[in-house]
Amino acid sequence: MADDALWYEAALLVGVTNALNVVADSPLDSLEPASPSAEAQAVFGEIRAFYDRADVPLAFRRVAADPGYLADLWGAARRAFADNRLTRRHKEALAFAVSVTTRSAFGAAFHLAEMRRLGVGERGVMEVLGVTQMFSSYTKIADTLQLEPDMDGLAAVDRSPAPGGTAPKREERERAAPTRPPEAP
Amino acid sequence: MPTVRLRDASEYPAPIQKLFEMAKAWFNYDFPQPPAMSRVMAWDPELGGFHGRAMKRAMAPGEFTRAEKEMVAAVVSGVNACAY
Repeated sequence: MADDALWYEAALLVGVTNALNVVADSPLDSLEPASPSAEAQAVFGEIRAFYDRADVPLAFRRVAADPGYLADLWGAARRAFADNRLTRRHKEALAFAVSVTTRSAFGAAFHLAEMRRLGVGERGVMEVLGVTQMFSSYTKIADTLQLEPDMDGLAAVDRSPAPGGTAPKREERERAAPTRPPEAP
Repeated sequence: MPTVRLRDASEYPAPIQKLFEMAKAWFNYDFPQPPAMSRVMAWDPELGGFHGRAMKRAMAPGEFTRAEKEMVAAVVSGVNACAY
């Protein structure tokens, strides 16, 4: 997991997961159009196919009054959750962890169902829940004592360029990320 | 800055120092001092022992790899806005 591309992908997934959750968990029932437009229905069709389910998740139904916005939101969500460098199965586990951590009733239920649909067994669910719970503990202990990061030297810096770009010249690289010796805590 | 003085590994009793060696092996990294969190959890071995075992059990390879789980841990930490 030393490749930054994986972490960019994970961070974008976390953002999109939270974006879907905040709308689905809010008291916004009245926003859901009783009769979605043909344009919205077309997007709904793509969403049903992606998730292989008959209904459309609440987070998408609630923004269907603006089909253009729905289409763009869906485009971002589909990209975030599709197999890429990270697998869709792993992404659903990450989204489940984020949803549990943020107490999203919609997200926790939805991504749990998706994990199971994608083949994660009860043991795998417990693994993700256990990691989520343990690191919800460590983070609060660290915050309470205001611990400072001391494990940032574990992973090497990824010097590869942005997608489609070129790597920085050596001196620019060094200016951007000067090397420093490990620090004692 | 931490709100408590983090004790050096040498200030802990010998059995705890063995646990620090295990932590080094877990991270596969030669820390100058055990990570701050390891030293905090070692403060109360009766709690830290159970907590550490639960963490290792959760992080061990199973249906998900250790690397996949490290990423789950990282996103949970990020969502909790934890800089540590």
